Amino acid sequence: MSRITSVVRLHLTNPWTAIILPWMIMGFILLANIAIWAIILGAAAPEDRADIREGLGYSGSTTYFFVYIMVLAVQAISVTFPFALGYGVTRRDYYLGTALTFVGLSAMFSVGLTILSVIEEATGGWGLGGRMFTTFYYGDTWPQRLFIYFAAFLIFFFVGMSAASIWVRWRANGLIAYFVGLAVVLVGGAALLTVTNTWPAFGSFFATAGFLGSWAWSLVITAIAAVGGYLVLRRATPKTS
Amino acid sequence: MTAVIEVRGLTKRFGSVTAVDDATFSVAENKIYGLLGRNGAGKTTLMQLLTGQDFATSGEIKVFGQSPVENAGVLQRVSFIKESQRYPEDFRAKHVFKSAPWFFSNWDQEFAEQLIADFRLPLDRRIKKMSRGQVSAIGVIVGLASRAPLTFFDEPYLGLDAVARQTFYDRLLADYAEHPRTVVLSTHLIDEVSNLLEHVLVIDEGRIIIDEDAETLRGSATTLVGTKTAVDGFVGSREVLHRDAIGGLASVTVTGLTAQERTDATAAGLELAPVSLQQLIIRRTNTSEKEFEVSA
Repeated sequence: MSRITSVVRLHLTNPWTAIILPWMIMGFILLANIAIWAIILGAAAPEDRADIREGLGYSGSTTYFFVYIMVLAVQAISVTFPFALGYGVTRRDYYLGTALTFVGLSAMFSVGLTILSVIEEATGGWGLGGRMFTTFYYGDTWPQRLFIYFAAFLIFFFVGMSAASIWVRWRANGLIAYFVGLAVVLVGGAALLTVTNTWPAFGSFFATAGFLGSWAWSLVITAIAAVGGYLVLRRATPKTS
Repeated sequence: MTAVIEVRGLTKRFGSVTAVDDATFSVAENKIYGLLGRNGAGKTTLMQLLTGQDFATSGEIKVFGQSPVENAGVLQRVSFIKESQRYPEDFRAKHVFKSAPWFFSNWDQEFAEQLIADFRLPLDRRIKKMSRGQVSAIGVIVGLASRAPLTFFDEPYLGLDAVARQTFYDRLLADYAEHPRTVVLSTHLIDEVSNLLEHVLVIDEGRIIIDEDAETLRGSATTLVGTKTAVDGFVGSREVLHRDAIGGLASVTVTGLTAQERTDATAAGLELAPVSLQQLIIRRTNTSEKEFEVSA
């Protein structure tokens, strides 16, 4: 068996953290949301219900999932990297195996969320007009949602992975430098847009690209994070503390 | 005799600290090596360099004839068990034994299970909640059952009690006899492992100061005990490694006595005593015994 697949299996040796727990939390959030929708609709006057249903379209409750995934990526790398090296895995095989794991998990999570979104549509918002998986920023049709979910998982995974690689190689100092650098780039970019008076152009870029196009562009950032993460990890050494 | 490891002029610096200083040595196939030295002498760094986990500042390392750095062909024949090994957050002991066989082609499940029973390791307990000794036992079991052609144990027994340590030595020796492989064992507990070792490498402040066959090393020094006059008369201008004196009695450790000299010493009314490996290394590294015990 190739060492890369062994690394994939290593990440999933205990499926609890990477697969079972996130779905359990998702299920819990869904149930809590359904309960809240039922309470609100039950308490509201009949003439207000249309208004309320409109408001239910702006749920952000799925965002937890993406943050969880970033934490998962950080945790996975910071601990399994020194562990896998002890098993005689090369950094290259470790990185490829880890990336493959993250792409696989992203696919699994996005297919799952897409299926939930289709159910949400079919049941008229879980019978209550609620919307969790079909909120407008996930696109209009299920193939669009599948793509946006997948792109979103990938960017959170790989940005988390690159930050974790910096941690593994340079510890806290590296992360501080990374975030200071990131802040400089973001503030600098904003300043540049202001000085050159190009905010409207910046805004219209996203308006033109739409949700779908903007997410497609996110793949560029994902790719940069993935390559950068590899370059950082390639020379990292497992620290004893 | 084939060399499994060949190191030439190896140096590793961390900023202004030189952890490994111009080390040159080789490790022969199917022997048990002791890598001995005090805390901070450079043992762990040396092993991290040999397993491609760290990068050399200068010098050459060949493991199975090739550089180990990022070399899958070399590294899959190597197992490196560290005292400070960390395990994934959510791992229980059983997860380690489930995943280890994917990485070690010689893994012996039956042997692993027997060792788990020997060390009374709770498989279902989270590693985070285990005692220091239990965590060490996991490493020891992986190191033994993986049967990697080249196995490194870096102080593998932290927190293990005397019984468990003896179990480790016994199992290592018995399994080594049946499945010969190269083992490099780094330790402070020199006398405990002294009978296990076939070759000794002593590192001090990053330098390899002793690289010798264990048997030769043990015979390389003798302690002479007798009256001060008799001892002084015999020693003359010989190299003295250590000297103790109480009242009119003296005890002196000298190097390399021939058979004739031994007979002469006995005739001069001196008592001859062997020197333990630990004593010898302490004498040779010029550190006080007390210091060594503190670090152990």
